[in-house]
Parts: sequence; C-alpha cells; structure tokens
Amino acid sequence: MKTWHWIVLVIPTVVTIGLQLFGPEHPHPHAWDVIPGFYVIYGFVGCVLIIVVSKALGKGALQKREDYYDD
Amino acid sequence: MIETLPPAFILIVGAVLLACLPGRVRPTAFIVLAALAFAQTLRLSDGARLTSTYAGFDLVLLNVDQFNRIFGIIFGLIGVVAGIYAWHVRSRGEQVVAMLYAGGALGVTYAGDFMTLLFYWELMAVASAGLIFARNTGESRAAGFRYLLVHLFGGSLLLGGIIWHQIEYGHMEMLGRLDPQFTGAWLILLGVALNAAIPPLHSWLPDAYPRATVTGAIFMSALTTKSAVYVLLRLFPGWEILVWGGVIMALYGVVYAVLANDIRQILAYHIVSQVGYMVAGVGIGTALSLNGTAAHAYSHILYKALLFMGAGVVLHTTGKSKLTELGGLGRYLPLTLWLFMIGAFSISGFPLFNGFISKSIIVSAAGYDHREAVMLLLLLASVGTFLHTGLKIPVFTFWGPDSGLRPKAVPRNMHLAMGVVAFLCIFYGVYPAALYQLLPYPIDYQPYTLAHLIEAVQLLTFTFVGFWILRSKLAGESFIAIDTDWFYRRGLRGIGSGLVTAVNTIFSAGVRAREAVVGFVATQAVNPYAPPVSPGQPVPVFNENEHRPPVGRALALTVVFLLLLAGLLLARG
Repeated sequence: MKTWHWIVLVIPTVVTIGLQLFGPEHPHPHAWDVIPGFYVIYGFVGCVLIIVVSKALGKGALQKREDYYDD
Repeated sequence: MIETLPPAFILIVGAVLLACLPGRVRPTAFIVLAALAFAQTLRLSDGARLTSTYAGFDLVLLNVDQFNRIFGIIFGLIGVVAGIYAWHVRSRGEQVVAMLYAGGALGVTYAGDFMTLLFYWELMAVASAGLIFARNTGESRAAGFRYLLVHLFGGSLLLGGIIWHQIEYGHMEMLGRLDPQFTGAWLILLGVALNAAIPPLHSWLPDAYPRATVTGAIFMSALTTKSAVYVLLRLFPGWEILVWGGVIMALYGVVYAVLANDIRQILAYHIVSQVGYMVAGVGIGTALSLNGTAAHAYSHILYKALLFMGAGVVLHTTGKSKLTELGGLGRYLPLTLWLFMIGAFSISGFPLFNGFISKSIIVSAAGYDHREAVMLLLLLASVGTFLHTGLKIPVFTFWGPDSGLRPKAVPRNMHLAMGVVAFLCIFYGVYPAALYQLLPYPIDYQPYTLAHLIEAVQLLTFTFVGFWILRSKLAGESFIAIDTDWFYRRGLRGIGSGLVTAVNTIFSAGVRAREAVVGFVATQAVNPYAPPVSPGQPVPVFNENEHRPPVGRALALTVVFLLLLAGLLLARG
C-alpha cells in the first residue's frame, strides 16, 4: 500500500472519532459508546481474533488433506 | 381465478412445458415463464386464498399475508434473474429441475397448511439435488446423494411433527406461532432448522453448493435457506433458542470461511453466517427484529446471488474455483470484478449498499431489546463477513500474483444478470423505503443515522487494517476443513460398518445354511431315472438306450413281488 492509501484510511478514522468526541450525543447509547473510537478497536481486534482463532482451530483439529474423504 | 392462482402452478406447469421445448427456445421460455410467476407474485394481494381438499384433508394452496408477500416477490424476482444468468445453458434436465425448484420455493412460501408445505418442501429437496447431479462429476454425484439423504431426513422430521400437530390440534392449517410446550413443534423446528442450515444441521450446504452447477448454485443460494427462514418467521417468532442459534451460526460460518479454499465454499459458509442474523431476528421476536429478518432475507438473496454469479463467472471461464489456483484475474475480468465488489460491499454492510439497510435493523433490534452480547457478537460476524467476502476472495482471486489462467469470453447474459442485481443492491441501499414498504409490520426505522455511519466506517476501516497486516495468513491452503458432515461421511463409518457387517455376516450365514439344506433335499429328490448330472457339466440329452433302466429290472421286481404275494396268501392258508 502506498502512503496515500493509508491517508485515505486515516481521514475517516479521525473524522469519526472527532464526531464521537465533539458531535451530537448517541441517541441510544450502550455501555461501550462512552469509549471514543470503540469500533476502531473492536474492528481491528475482532479481525485479528477471527484470523488467529480460526487458524488455530484449523491447525489444531479441523484441517485435513484434500483427499481425506476419498479412501 | 387469476387473483388466487398460485405462482408455483405457473412454474410447475412451466417445467413440464420446458421439458417438451427444443433447446433453441428453452432458455428464453425459462425467462418468460419465470417472469410470469414473478408478475403473479406482484399481483397477489393480502388475503388471497385458494383452498382444496385431498384425501379428506383441507388444503390451503395459497394464503397471502404480510409475512409471505415479501418472500414471494424476491423468490419470483430471483427466478427471472437466474434465468437470464443461465441463458446460455442448453441442458434440458438442469433447466427443468431449476424451474421445479423455484416452483417448490414459491409453493412453500404461500402454503397455508402443513400438507401443502410438506409437498413443496420435498419437491424443493428433490429438484435442487438435480442441480448438483447436473454438474455430472463423480464428486458432485456423491455430494448430491448426501444432500438428498440429509434433506429427506429433514423432511421426515418435519413430517413427524406435522402428524403430531394433526393429532394434537385436529387440523393441518398453519395458524401462526407454535407453542413451545407442544413437543411436536420441536420436531417441526428441527426439520426447518435443517433447511435453514443451523449448526450442527448445516453441513449439507457447504458440502453441496460448491459442487452444484455454475448456474444451479444461484438458485440454491437464494431459495432453500431463505424459504426455511420464512417458515421460522411464521411459526417460531420469539423462540429464545433461535437467538443463540442465530448468533452461533453467524460466527460459525465466519470461522469456517477462514479455513475454506474454494471460493464458492467461502460464499456458502457466509450464507450460514448471514442466515444467522435472520434466525437471531426471528428469535428476538419483536416487530422490529422480524422486520429485520424479512428485510435481510430480501437483501441477502440479491447480494448473495450476485456474489455466486461472480464466482460462477470465474469457474465458468477458467474451470477453477480454488484460491490456491486463482489470482491476478482482475485484468482479464474487470467487469466481473467490479460487479462482484458491489455484492461484496453489500454483504459487508457498506453504507449506500443494501446489506447496510437490512442488517442494521436486526443489530438495532437486538440493542433496543437490551441484548448487548447478541449485538456485539453480530457486529463481530460483520467484521468476518467483510474480511472474507470483501477482502479475502477478491484479493486472492482478482489481484495477487498472476495464476497464468487466461479466462475465456464471458457470456453477455451472465454480466447482464449481474448488472441487474448489482443495480438493485445499490437501489435499495440508496432508497431503503422501497424495501421497507414490503415488510410485515409498519416500520419507522432510519438506517442512515450518524451513530450507524460512525460504527460502520470504523469497523470496516479497521477490519481492512487487520486484514492487511495479517493477509499472508489468509491465502488459500490446499486443505479441507472437516465439519459436522464428518459424522456421516467418516465418524459413523465404524458404527455403520459394525451394523452392516454384523447383519451381513448373519444374513450370509443364513443364506449358506439355506443353500446347503436345499442342495441336500435336491440330491435326495432327484428323479432316479434322469441322466446323472455332474456339477459344471452340461446337462446330458436323454438317450433312452443309454439312460433307460433295463426292462429286466422291472420284470424281476414284479416277479419278486408276485412271489411274496403268493407266499403270503399260502401262509394265510
């Protein structure tokens, strides 16, 4: 990824966190809505968790050779 | 008459007609017939009802209300679009079963009683299996048989529950929510849950869909699970078990999509995941969540058909569908890539695409119902959806190192069908009111609030960042991941062979004993005057001079007998 790609990602992040801090109040807030940028953390951690946990399950138990069912 | 004509009739009669038409006109006739059925779904108005009797049962062949109207319309619509996508196909069998299958789905949708429901349910199972067999490879034949057996098992569960319902209530009519205290309802739930692909009853789906024909998979992705969602919506709203069943589904599909290598199998696991949202919506059971289920089913059918169409173009033009064999195709299939991406943005819940305006209803409904854990877990599943469908599939199929594949020309009708669906994905995303007016309950819901937009932008942006950092881990691998089909493909082999081998041993011992007895009796009962037969030799022709016993033997016996008789008479004196 080139530098400007990262800039494209940084702008919406900064804008949305700014709106959470200084914009209108959340109409139906949940406990986590007090944390600015909560979904930044949730999206990133969730994504990493999904990859790591699924891969661990795959390596640990689920993945088999492609001809596993053939014999 | 026309006001109450079931659209299923048009398609079933149409299937018979298609079977008789020559190949040149058949694809066009398919589209025309599907369009007639679609027009009929639009014409039917709430309250339309068609009844009949069969074998003493009162049947409700058509019963239109606010619940099934929206499902009928989308099933009708997808039949037309899938017909356009399949316009280049000339296989008579495939076209006929596809039409029967669509007829079955529309029959299920408008069925007003359990008998009618079961008939169309089984029609769907058998006809859709035909779309797997039509691929005509050894692998697809085996998968087709597994699919058929699993669905017949599900149909039997449903039948058991239906009979129980008849005994308990004395009628067959589907009158709304079933009572969880009624045990038979749980049998019906299991039968329907199998078609809705709720784990552990889901494994037929990722087993079969990647092995169906390119065009057959479009029908399958739209019809079976969503018709089951409709039945859940009608019979099981507010059943608490479905909330967690749905959440587990949503995440289960995500985990397996990480491990899958075949692009159509990744999409299949994301059907499981997306249907999880709908099932959870049924379980929550509020007017808003049920609206969310219906809306998401409608959106899902569109974007999932679009994604399967894109994957189908890749398979059709390159003959490959595994990530490990694909890569760098974007240069050769630019239009396919961008149409696919519209589907990917939709399923991932990008604002201005149709997934956003329907998925957010269910997530919001969970929030309004104070189910924070459900809400967060469904959001986590959205992260996984974007990760696979929006990033993993396109990056490793259309970008990445050149696989050396040079796709052949794409039939124009395939792109046309994709274009129509892509347009609808954006149309409903930009103008959600067009979809919201079809929903079962009046709705006052605004998807485009600042809070929703912030949530979506942050989640999607940082899913992308996570993907980019770990992308090497997501490349396809030449492995399969075992799922619950392991139990009937492998795990039960020990028990199965134990049962079968033991029974066979006893049975063949019985056969051998029987043959020994029969053989012994046969040797004892043989005609003493027949020519001797030795095993393995041809039966000799009777030759009277050689084989007839000499006359003297008979005469000697007669004389001996007379002498004995005379002696006896003399002795008596």
